[in-house]
Amino acid sequence: MKPEEEIRKTRYKTYALVWMILIILTGMTLSAAGMELGRWTVPIALAIAGAKSGLVLNYFMHLRSERLLIFKVIIPLVLAVFLIFILLTFSDLAFRGGVR
Amino acid sequence: MILGSLKEMDEVKELVSEEVRDDTGARLGMWLFILSEILLFGGMFILYSAYRYKNPVDFHHASRELDVILGTLNTIILLTSSLSMAASVAAIQRGQRRLSMVLLMATMALGLFFLAIKGFEWGTKIEHGIYPNSPTLLARAKGEILFFGLYYVMTGLHGLHVLVGVCVLFVMLILLLKEKINPTHVTPLENSGLYWHLVDMIWIFLYPLFYLIS
Repeated sequence: MKPEEEIRKTRYKTYALVWMILIILTGMTLSAAGMELGRWTVPIALAIAGAKSGLVLNYFMHLRSERLLIFKVIIPLVLAVFLIFILLTFSDLAFRGGVR
Repeated sequence: MILGSLKEMDEVKELVSEEVRDDTGARLGMWLFILSEILLFGGMFILYSAYRYKNPVDFHHASRELDVILGTLNTIILLTSSLSMAASVAAIQRGQRRLSMVLLMATMALGLFFLAIKGFEWGTKIEHGIYPNSPTLLARAKGEILFFGLYYVMTGLHGLHVLVGVCVLFVMLILLLKEKINPTHVTPLENSGLYWHLVDMIWIFLYPLFYLIS
């Protein structure tokens, strides 16, 4: 049996701080939606959502304190797969006559 | 038999130990499951983006019928439930069993509160005749029909995940009560927490894409 893995304990304060930032980012998303941002609306909304996910992944889901590389690689890997799906989908969609 | 050293005593203890555990393996398994869930919802997000790309005006109009206040409230509810979930794990790591159970129950309550609000939202829409294949909906613009189809499927599947999550957390609560989850064995609770944070993350993306595009 392996020796006991050291449990990285996160402080309650850290969790509360992350939560506070998440709420603030939610407020920012809300106010950004009220502004006239034109074609930047979607990228900004996704960027804020991405930032929130990053916080949840790293602090609530402890990715930051994981020591093995495999854990840190899984999420970027699935996002890379996504990027390929999206690029392929839109490189078709953008040049078609129309979706029926 | 006289054991020669402390090291030999440890080895004997390992041989007679009852359980075979692989905490890292269990956690890795949960992350792989999370990866598959991301692909599941991700596929639907790509579908959403394709239809929105083709029907921007209709999507904008349809989105205005959703209640932003309820959507924002639900976002805050899930974010707070993630806080209580993470704190629940932290509590049992520190041996604070009662606190851990209270925080876990708070997480479950927030999850059910989320579902109640979602149910209310669906209820009002259905009352107004807007549901998949309804005559009222089918009379509308094509893009709006697509928007509401995506709305019901994606928030529905997400809601199902929340419900399953609450049930899983209930099982964890029982395990905490029986002290099967304790400071030396936190992994089941941690993994349940990972699932719960995933459910929160999916909503983090659902919220702006359905409620805030007007």
